[in-house]
Amino acid sequence: MRDKKRLVAGILIFGSLWGFSEVIIGSTLSDLGMPSGALMTGFFALFFLVLSRLTFRQPGMQIGMGLVAGTLRMFNPLMGCHLCSAIAIMAEAMIFEIIWRYLSFDFEKHRNLTAHVSFGIFAVYFLYVSGYIITQILTPIVDGTGFYLQNLIAILPKIFSRGLLPAFIGGALTPAIVRLSKIDLTIKDRIYYPTTLGTSAFCWIVVIGSWLSVGG
Amino acid sequence: MSMGTEKVLPVLAISVLLIGSFSALFVHANQVTVEKDIITINNQKYFIQELFESVDVKTIELEEGKKTGLALDKLIIFSNVECPSCHKYSITAEDSYQKTFNWEDMKKGILTEYKRTYFKDKAHAFWIYDVVEIKVI
Repeated sequence: MRDKKRLVAGILIFGSLWGFSEVIIGSTLSDLGMPSGALMTGFFALFFLVLSRLTFRQPGMQIGMGLVAGTLRMFNPLMGCHLCSAIAIMAEAMIFEIIWRYLSFDFEKHRNLTAHVSFGIFAVYFLYVSGYIITQILTPIVDGTGFYLQNLIAILPKIFSRGLLPAFIGGALTPAIVRLSKIDLTIKDRIYYPTTLGTSAFCWIVVIGSWLSVGG
Repeated sequence: MSMGTEKVLPVLAISVLLIGSFSALFVHANQVTVEKDIITINNQKYFIQELFESVDVKTIELEEGKKTGLALDKLIIFSNVECPSCHKYSITAEDSYQKTFNWEDMKKGILTEYKRTYFKDKAHAFWIYDVVEIKVI
């Protein structure tokens, strides 16, 4: 029971931090003309997904995080298709679960740097490309413009090429996340729950506050 | 992580890097090189400045601020498309990025002097930079 409560709190905080970074940092990077999608997937999505998986070792947790982050993403004060971005985040979480499951990945058993780097490259490339394609399909459908397969086919090479930057970031970042996950951060319950709930609440209040301030 | 996985992972990583690299080369090789100020509409080439002298300019307000440019619907009418509402319009960028729009969407869009399209109440995915062609379908 105690473990389940900790897991739920973990889903909430990791999901909220992921959603918060997507909305606040992602929008800022986009405004600055930087490749926000690549940076968000390469740094933040990978960081929260891998760290949470290594910390809690609970299959399915990342889907819960995707639901929390995706829901928070719906309150984006800027950007166009909120629902599409939210679904793309949820899809990224689901794809991460599938990759982890089918690669039977366990960083504990092997400390092989090549495997860690390779996992980062492959996982992030796959997450980024899948998220991009899903957004390109869903946006015109949700928007009502209609989805045209030829438009997607025309930009597939561009999508595949754009996956390189986040893949390199993923390859460089994964060994660092593995090291970070080994730091013993055992926190007592009386601090753990107020900290996780307080941080999550902060993320939601800032995002919803920003959304309301631009007229909802 | 089984030994199998440990062997497969580098192969998967190299595969996606190769896919990405070849795609980048493909995109670069197929990049349309067009003259900076020219755009093709309905198979006719126009200078952007020429269009700005002949077609109505309008300003739309987006969450990111105001954007001013040629009204896309007026642009289509200017290019002598018969029955504009009977067609769809495919807008293509220099790097092959393209989106297809119906007439109602075109009424909400603009083309700026920097050859960028913006649409009111549409997602960023519909914003096309470095437009080279507007095709009538």
